[in-house]
Amino acid sequence: MLPMRDMVEHMEGINRLMARYGVKFGIYKNREFHEQLFPFDPLPRVIGRDEFSYLEKGLAQRVDALNCFLADIYGGKKIVKDGVIPEDFIFSSKGYLPQCEGMVPPKKIYSHISGIDLVQAKDGDWYILEDNLRIPSGASYPMIARELTRQASPRTFMKNHVADNRNYAGMLKEVMDHVNTGGINVVLTPGRYNAAFFEHSYLAERSGAILAMPQDLYVENNRLYYRQYQGKQLQVGTVYRRLSDEYLDPLCFEPGSLIGVPGIMDVYRSGNVALVNAPGNGVADDKGIYYFVPHMVKYYLGEEAILKNAPTYLAFYEEDRKYILEHLERLVVKDVSEAGGYGVVFGRDLTREKLEGLKKIIMGEPRRFIAQEVIDFIDLDIVEGDGSVPRKADLRAFVLSGKGTKVWPSGLTRFSRNPDSFVVNSSQGGGFKDTWVLSQ
Amino acid sequence: MKRLGFRYEMRLKLDQAVWDHHFLIRCRPMESARQQRERMSVKIEPADFVSEVKDGFGNEGYAGSAKKPHDSLLAVAEGVVRVDIGGTSDPVHPMYRFPSAFTMPGEDIRRFFGETRLEPGWPAGKEGSGSRRMGRKELMYMMNRLYGRFVYSPGATTVETTAEEALALGKGVCQDYAHVFISLCRLAGIPARYVAGMMLGEGASHAWVEVWLEDGWLGMDPTNNRLVDETYIKLTHGRDFRDGSIDRGRFLGFAGQSQEICVKVEEII
Repeated sequence: MLPMRDMVEHMEGINRLMARYGVKFGIYKNREFHEQLFPFDPLPRVIGRDEFSYLEKGLAQRVDALNCFLADIYGGKKIVKDGVIPEDFIFSSKGYLPQCEGMVPPKKIYSHISGIDLVQAKDGDWYILEDNLRIPSGASYPMIARELTRQASPRTFMKNHVADNRNYAGMLKEVMDHVNTGGINVVLTPGRYNAAFFEHSYLAERSGAILAMPQDLYVENNRLYYRQYQGKQLQVGTVYRRLSDEYLDPLCFEPGSLIGVPGIMDVYRSGNVALVNAPGNGVADDKGIYYFVPHMVKYYLGEEAILKNAPTYLAFYEEDRKYILEHLERLVVKDVSEAGGYGVVFGRDLTREKLEGLKKIIMGEPRRFIAQEVIDFIDLDIVEGDGSVPRKADLRAFVLSGKGTKVWPSGLTRFSRNPDSFVVNSSQGGGFKDTWVLSQ
Repeated sequence: MKRLGFRYEMRLKLDQAVWDHHFLIRCRPMESARQQRERMSVKIEPADFVSEVKDGFGNEGYAGSAKKPHDSLLAVAEGVVRVDIGGTSDPVHPMYRFPSAFTMPGEDIRRFFGETRLEPGWPAGKEGSGSRRMGRKELMYMMNRLYGRFVYSPGATTVETTAEEALALGKGVCQDYAHVFISLCRLAGIPARYVAGMMLGEGASHAWVEVWLEDGWLGMDPTNNRLVDETYIKLTHGRDFRDGSIDRGRFLGFAGQSQEICVKVEEII
């Protein structure tokens, strides 16, 4: 793929442009907000057509099962009554919100936008690492990178048959329109100091939705409205909210929240507005629940899961706990209540003393921990100096559930800049690549 | 069966004007086999609009807003409720088995739990062998021990005090008694929920506990060391205080605030 040279030559220029557009990633460190660039590497991850269609089937199946699970948990709870998942993993999870009991979202969709993280092992097999069903971010990065690289190197895209990924906004609009209860679509952002503010504004602009701050929305007579400067009332039918559950409505969740929209949950409960994604989804993307997703596929869909989980052990089960304690030095241990690459410990990095300490912590609170085999996932080349170096990379696939369940033919490939690290989360200072899905 | 007339009055005083005030007042006695509303009226001032709402726990209330500047909010609910002795048999939700934010047991509660068994070393619920569950007799013994260990002392704790902190202090108000008792019950494997409501007489609102015993919910009032009878009107329930709080609100402005709650319940013969 010779023309790629153009893209490497344009790498600096593209990164400069992205910095100017505000394509940044904010992180909190020691309670201070730091904004950092999310460095773009021009060498794309390339996924063949057949391989993508396999991933597509597996991802849609997984998200369909997760949506069934959410409807069940906030409804009849059959999967618990049938003993498939112990109630400990559901009702004591931080992500479970009893305030959402009995709520049925418009069109019965809970997870409209799902970010599923996968890795490809060296033998070519794909493994699911994590489901993100709350407010997965990152779609805007490959969108804008594609736009800029197409400008920088049109030849590349003439020679390679790459599926166009710029339709993400159209897919998003389709989902928002599908669940809309009557009114406009808005993207609700907590504001300028959110880690993903660039993405909020970009997606709103591209999908034709209004970008709203919490104070722009208000509830009256069990309806949600957008405050226009001319003072006109505009009813809101769909809120793609990028505000986490606990801050969404101070009358329902965190009472001290100053950024929420008071009363929005009552409007939602009455079916007068759609919230994308549904509040309470955290119960389904908990690291402890992850273990049970293949069981859900079987239980709700009557099918075998197409995509595999990484081999996972639950400290909660005695047999698994024994295995974890005996093999701790080669496993990766994850705290189920943490996210964003925090609370992840590799046994091989620990001293004997620390291993023993970790064992005690696990035995004290087994519900809190899962352990996984470390998957030796493939390296992708990234540009460094005049050459390239291999780095660990994962893939966040975006699955959109509206009229049907569709997988965006692209995705966010994140890589770790540290050669020894397997943690690729953007909050841990990694970079990203475009993801090409070949169309033939 | 008793017929109880009630009046719930909440007055929020603000030392300067606020605006864009949104509130939720859950002062509507919940309908159940135990209690039925005969009639009820509510008045909230100022309010641009008020709508009746119901939440995920089954609690009912009034949500609304007052947009124009104002320096007080008054809510008065009045009505008549028929109350039966005994509990309710609405099904137990599994969330009431697990510790919640305010009822997470720590060292002190775990240690105290060991001292509250009717028979020393008697196994109970999850933590024991599970061969026998605590019944009414054992729970009443546990409540009695808590009553002996705790001193009723307004001002010693705040609405943010957890069960563990309250037990360490050894004093508190009805909210704290309820939190500690819930924490103990859940340790014993008995589902328990926080109840906010009103009691016969005049004063503030009250909080107690409902525990699940095989055939239904039993109301227990650890602050008064007694079982709940037909002189208690239940307003809300939840995992702990936060879920069950009667009044919530948010306004814009820089005012300091003070809240007064006056409850009056009398028997109608």
